[in-house]
Amino acid sequence: MGTFLVSVGIGLSTAAILSLSAVAFTLEYAVSRVANFAHGEFLTIGAYAAYTGQRFFHQNLAAAALLAAAAGLVAGVVLNVGLIEQFRGRSGITIFIATLGASLILQNVLVIGYGAASVSYTFAQGRLHHVGPFLWTTSDIEVILSALAVAGLIYLLLQRTRFGKAVRAVSQDRALAQISGIPARRIVLQTWALAGAVSGFAGFALADTVGTFSPTLGFSFLLLTITATVAGGIGRPYATLGGALIVGLVIQIAGTYTNSAYELVFAFLLLVVLMLLRPNGFFVRGSAAAVRA
Amino acid sequence: MYWVSVITEAGIFAILALGLDMVWGWSGDFDLAFYGYLALGSYMTFVLAIGKPTPPVEYIIGWHLPVPVAIVLADVAVVALAAVIGAIALRNLRDIYFAVTTLGAVSALYLIVQTYTPLFDGFNGVYGLINPGQTALRLTYNGYRVVLLFVVLGLLFLAYLLVQRLSRSPFGRMLRAVREDERAAAAYGRAVFAAKYRAYLFGAALAGLTGGLFAIFISAFNPSAWTPQELLIIYAAILVGGRGNPRGVIVGVFVVYIGFIELTRFLPSPASRPEFGPAMRQILIGLLIVLMLRFRPEGIFRERPGVDRGQRPGARAGLFRSRPDAAPGRPPAGPAAAAAAAAAARTGDGSAQ
Repeated sequence: MGTFLVSVGIGLSTAAILSLSAVAFTLEYAVSRVANFAHGEFLTIGAYAAYTGQRFFHQNLAAAALLAAAAGLVAGVVLNVGLIEQFRGRSGITIFIATLGASLILQNVLVIGYGAASVSYTFAQGRLHHVGPFLWTTSDIEVILSALAVAGLIYLLLQRTRFGKAVRAVSQDRALAQISGIPARRIVLQTWALAGAVSGFAGFALADTVGTFSPTLGFSFLLLTITATVAGGIGRPYATLGGALIVGLVIQIAGTYTNSAYELVFAFLLLVVLMLLRPNGFFVRGSAAAVRA
Repeated sequence: MYWVSVITEAGIFAILALGLDMVWGWSGDFDLAFYGYLALGSYMTFVLAIGKPTPPVEYIIGWHLPVPVAIVLADVAVVALAAVIGAIALRNLRDIYFAVTTLGAVSALYLIVQTYTPLFDGFNGVYGLINPGQTALRLTYNGYRVVLLFVVLGLLFLAYLLVQRLSRSPFGRMLRAVREDERAAAAYGRAVFAAKYRAYLFGAALAGLTGGLFAIFISAFNPSAWTPQELLIIYAAILVGGRGNPRGVIVGVFVVYIGFIELTRFLPSPASRPEFGPAMRQILIGLLIVLMLRFRPEGIFRERPGVDRGQRPGARAGLFRSRPDAAPGRPPAGPAAAAAAAAAARTGDGSAQ
């Protein structure tokens, strides 16, 4: 039972990061109808921005996290203006392939900038804490708490502000939102900025938790993100949080009881099984026909 | 010999691209698992042909079959895997869902092959297929490579003839009809899943064959030889050549493949930064994909419409003939657009375009 609860604890930490990444991914999808394959690179860019900044901040985690978020924000804006909007009106799969190309470009620009080898932060991981039945490092706790805070902020932003209302309108029907006087173009751009910032922060948290990272950090995390998003139901921000929780726990628990090298195999098989049985997510009772072209 | 090697490799990838184009170009499914079929074909050819493993090397089977037999059996295994993945991914899933599912499947396969050493010796991979049959054929090393080149080109030609024939056949036309409008094709009584599934298996069979040839060509195979991203250069080549046009696809592979190899040779490659060259190459592939999709999604050679049996052959053909109906991916115009718009309005799915 002890092992089980410890792995649940680690799973919660994974799930926290995953939920941030997945919420950002699903926001991008909601406003642009794009499954953004370059989403993983937002995380990587955040992680490397903090890596560049740590020299100047020393042990200041908050500053590093802010820098990561800022870099992610810039990446989100650039990708939206430079790529996504250029492909407006094209089919979803065409834009998907274009973002795949963008992912390849960004990833290898980072390789040229920072080298392909793994690097790591100099931030202290902190002591181990027993919190109830769980065993967490200080950074695990920081990650979980900040993920909860960010998720709460996104909830408030989407539900309680004019911006959130506009985002929801645009995600329902961009053309209709536009003729109702909502500046759809600007709202979409701001949503991408928000998603980029959240992803950049998630990338920093991920890099800090796993220890060492390389330019493929986000790319490897992308498929997990997609799994979590699909588990929740793509385009539905709150359900995505539930999906992230499920995926985070499944891979951690399955990995603990078999071999941690197979964690990701379980995640990917989960993705395939989900696609087969519940392509619209755990929380939707719908027919598979809805995902046809 | 340098050019022999380059052209052989391009020829092998051209066969792969012909197979992939059936799935993506004709049938319209963006498959990310495809490189896994090449990899499995390659691995299986090795373990069927190189004999028992000597510890600590370990892998399955370990037979000592003649290489052509091994390639055929390996291809059977590849088609079996494709039958499973295709049955899952093609039945209900389309577009991004299909792409993501196949990516999930191939990533799981990749991790298992990498981690579970009893299968194909994990990271070390399998090796030892150095010019099989060279002594029996009484060839020098270089002579063997030249023969291999001609075998590859011969197989490419055969594959081209077959694919070209299929492309013009009722089967090829049905696939394109399904790609353009699945509902309409179904309404006309076409078995959509069966058609896509057959194309998928056929494409995978070509990929498996490619894997076998690749095994002979590089004589060793391990996980670093087949990250799923390798597939992107093939997609880039198809985009350049012209999606759905077998001749264009072959030209695209040769142009892109040889172009990239030659370009990267002249890139500055500082000894302290060995990753610079490959990274530049990936960046260029990414750029090529984005720019082609943005500015010329139909490629250099456009897809030609199927030839109607009742029509005089060649009546509408021609290399640079202008085509009144819309290219794939472009906002449609003209009567076809009206039909498409009506279809979109019916299904309430206009946003997908």
